[in-house]
Amino acid sequence: MVRTIVVPKLGQSEEQATIVRWVKKEGDVIARGDVLFEIETDKALLEVESFFDGTLLKIAVPEGQTVPIQSVVGFIGDPGDPILEIVAPPALPQKTEAAHAPAETPRQSLPAPAGELARGRMEKPRLRERDTRSREISVPPPPEPVKPELFKISPRAAKLVKESAVDPTPIAGTGPGGRIVERDVTAYLEAKGYGRLLITPAAKKLAVREGIDILSLQARDDSGRITMGDIETAIAERPRPMTPMRQLIAQRLTQSYVSTPHFFVTVSADVMELESFRSELKSQGVSYTITDFILKAAALALAEFPTVNSTTDGESTRWRSRIHLGLAVALEQGLVVPVIRDADVLTLAEIHDRATELTARARAGKLTPAEMTGSTFTISNMGMLDIENFTAIINPGESAILAVSSIVKQPVVRDDQIVIRSMMKMTLSSDHRIIDGALAARFLNAIRKKLEETSLWKRSA
Amino acid sequence: MEAFGIVVIGGGPGGYPAAIRAAQLGASVALVEKEELGGTCLNWGCIPTKSLIASADLYARVKSAGAMGLNVGSASFDYAAMVERKDQVVRTLRNGIKQLLKANGIKVFQGIAAFQSRSRILVSPQVSSSGSGTEPVILGAGKTIIATGTASAMPSFLPRHPRVVESRAFLNLRSLPASTLVLGGGIIGCEFACMLAQLGVRVTVVELLEDILWSLDADVRRELRRHMERTLGVRIFTGATLEEISADDQRVRGRVQQEWVETDLLLAALGRHAVTQELQAENTGLTANEGGFIDVDEYGRTQVATVYAIGDVTGGPLLAHAATSQGLVAAENACGRYLRKNEKYVPNCIFTSPEIGTVGLSEQEAQQQGRKIKTGKSMLGALGKALAIGEPMGFVKWVADAETDQLLGAAPACPHATELIAEATVALRAELTGAELAQTIHAHPTLAELWMEAAHALEGEPIHTIPKHKAMKNG
Repeated sequence: MVRTIVVPKLGQSEEQATIVRWVKKEGDVIARGDVLFEIETDKALLEVESFFDGTLLKIAVPEGQTVPIQSVVGFIGDPGDPILEIVAPPALPQKTEAAHAPAETPRQSLPAPAGELARGRMEKPRLRERDTRSREISVPPPPEPVKPELFKISPRAAKLVKESAVDPTPIAGTGPGGRIVERDVTAYLEAKGYGRLLITPAAKKLAVREGIDILSLQARDDSGRITMGDIETAIAERPRPMTPMRQLIAQRLTQSYVSTPHFFVTVSADVMELESFRSELKSQGVSYTITDFILKAAALALAEFPTVNSTTDGESTRWRSRIHLGLAVALEQGLVVPVIRDADVLTLAEIHDRATELTARARAGKLTPAEMTGSTFTISNMGMLDIENFTAIINPGESAILAVSSIVKQPVVRDDQIVIRSMMKMTLSSDHRIIDGALAARFLNAIRKKLEETSLWKRSA
Repeated sequence: MEAFGIVVIGGGPGGYPAAIRAAQLGASVALVEKEELGGTCLNWGCIPTKSLIASADLYARVKSAGAMGLNVGSASFDYAAMVERKDQVVRTLRNGIKQLLKANGIKVFQGIAAFQSRSRILVSPQVSSSGSGTEPVILGAGKTIIATGTASAMPSFLPRHPRVVESRAFLNLRSLPASTLVLGGGIIGCEFACMLAQLGVRVTVVELLEDILWSLDADVRRELRRHMERTLGVRIFTGATLEEISADDQRVRGRVQQEWVETDLLLAALGRHAVTQELQAENTGLTANEGGFIDVDEYGRTQVATVYAIGDVTGGPLLAHAATSQGLVAAENACGRYLRKNEKYVPNCIFTSPEIGTVGLSEQEAQQQGRKIKTGKSMLGALGKALAIGEPMGFVKWVADAETDQLLGAAPACPHATELIAEATVALRAELTGAELAQTIHAHPTLAELWMEAAHALEGEPIHTIPKHKAMKNG
């Protein structure tokens, strides 16, 4: 019998997904559990497995198309089985309707799953407008390169433009209704000194084929001629659309940075004793990372300063009674932020286990959208990257982020003596609409003190 | 101490043009040469070999003149006279360089140059020279251009014996051996093998790689090898080593695979190494790379700010014309200009029988780069001029980009290939497309028409070849 293949529901907030790649072809024999296709949401790139055995009879939705969750995208059955005519899922509208009332603010993490950038897909990204529940996510389509046919331009003029390998945008049209006609192009070429332009024949041919504006090029050859090398460089330097994921990251970070009044406070934590305590534990066979301690310290501090755990849109505040910590994990291709839920009630050992597991899953590209959603505060630790200090951009939907730098041995003054201590700088970025300077200072020092207070850890570890 | 703005070390085809260019630009220039002006190219390389090859080639043509309707009786040659003519050619050209240097106000120092520092160069007379007793002098150098070139390699497994020679020693011989074993089937080995075979010497070539001239395209290699083996009677062993080599007063002996080869002479053509030992370049802070060559950038600069290097000593193609081009660039830059080397298209000429030229990408290089290409060939057997002059063998070939039609490389393998390569080089440098070359009128009847015909063939539309499908129908 014929069974339908549908796009599975992936998480709470996903409503649509893009078919990135069909792994199987029509006619392939499918075993239950085989990967059929890959989909991309704005949070992740996922593989979809078959629930059935059989033959892939038909692919109803081609690669590159975005469809609502639960859409039928193909059929599995026995060869020769009749397939129902299905109506292709409607192409999704480009404009978002008014935002619904927010049920839960989805986490605006910065997921760039492994492999996505590496794939370097060249086709035009299809960006979908999510039915955004928070109002900040609304990705506009990328600016289309202006094509000659979008202008009012006569066919002869368009042909001349193409054959001359120039960009018609600056040409003023003198035809009816401002239409560009052939004499406009000729006049433009003359005014720009086109006739004096030196270009090798092969370079001209390539420029015409690739639509490179040769008037915009500067020849590198000593002869002053535009050569193949110049055209190849121009092709390589042509703007390319970022992946949907990357565009979403850009959109969110920009939106956060320009709409949230950030301010920054920095402290240096003396982690010498913490480090020796950590070594001590390690020698006993118990292994913790510095990040584990920071996560725990931050969770405790957030419980003491709940304002830092809440959010504002500038008109109202939203209290959040649970503490979910986002942990930025750097991958080769970007950044993902898995979430440790209810971090304040987890023990250090539980935090360690959860962080280790999520980090490993992140590195393997196996995080689900749900695992990257809903954090209330984020920690970004660049300690392993030899960083003295840095500031982070607050993730949309949160009010602060902690940027942790490398531990550096430094001369510091203790009891009027210069001593060498292991110091670690931490910078808190705060949303000034809800967090004032004094609060940020107290909150950050609370984290610092917890890290420096090893008796606390000795009790809890 | 005599001070100069620029000191050029080495008077070969890289060094002397560099010296002249620097002098034209107003610098005070000294040139240090330890042996003869003109370097390897003029004295022991390009020019003397081409002189002998010209004699050998003419001899071969005279012997086959009957086919052209000539009665020349029985042709013979006097090898000593051929060598004397060669030496005369070399002397004439060497003298020309001497005049040129003098006319440009360049002071020539005879001796071996060694850096004491980056601005002091010691010139000592050659120990083995006539003993004229010149004293060492010290030159002050603002900038230095190293152009010391390369010398033939003589690996230690070869016996040191008068019957075992490299190319330079061979050129000093006054009589021809009756048989010769050429060790190495590269450019030098193949040129000598062809020349000797044309003069009636029994020649055996032993090459370690899978074929002679291994870097060339297979069709080019096939064309040459067929002619060498069938017409010239050269025995060629490839993918083979020469073992148990010995030499005595009677002969040279060695084993190739299961066979013993005995000849009067062994000519080693096993590559060349950079001449840097006497320079003491370390006194400037300059070190050679792992291969013994001196690394330079695209402006001819070494690691040391005031020291430039050009030609063979920098590695690369080991070609006189590349050295000359590099010499001019380095001289300009040493004089405060800013000029980049333009070495994308360096033609390579091989004076075998038939001759071979190459420029740009070969078919196999293009494939290695993963480029989509097309090729177009034109055979001399179908060309009026080639038949008229009695040389209807070989072909020319274009390699072009399959998408843009840009001409990427060319390889003629035919008589006069080394002259024909010039047109292809200009076409590549100008980034012409195959279509444009095909539309360029070539004079008739000339061998150059081959390029036009081969360019038509790039489009699968040659005029003077019967289309394959029609040929099949008719056949």
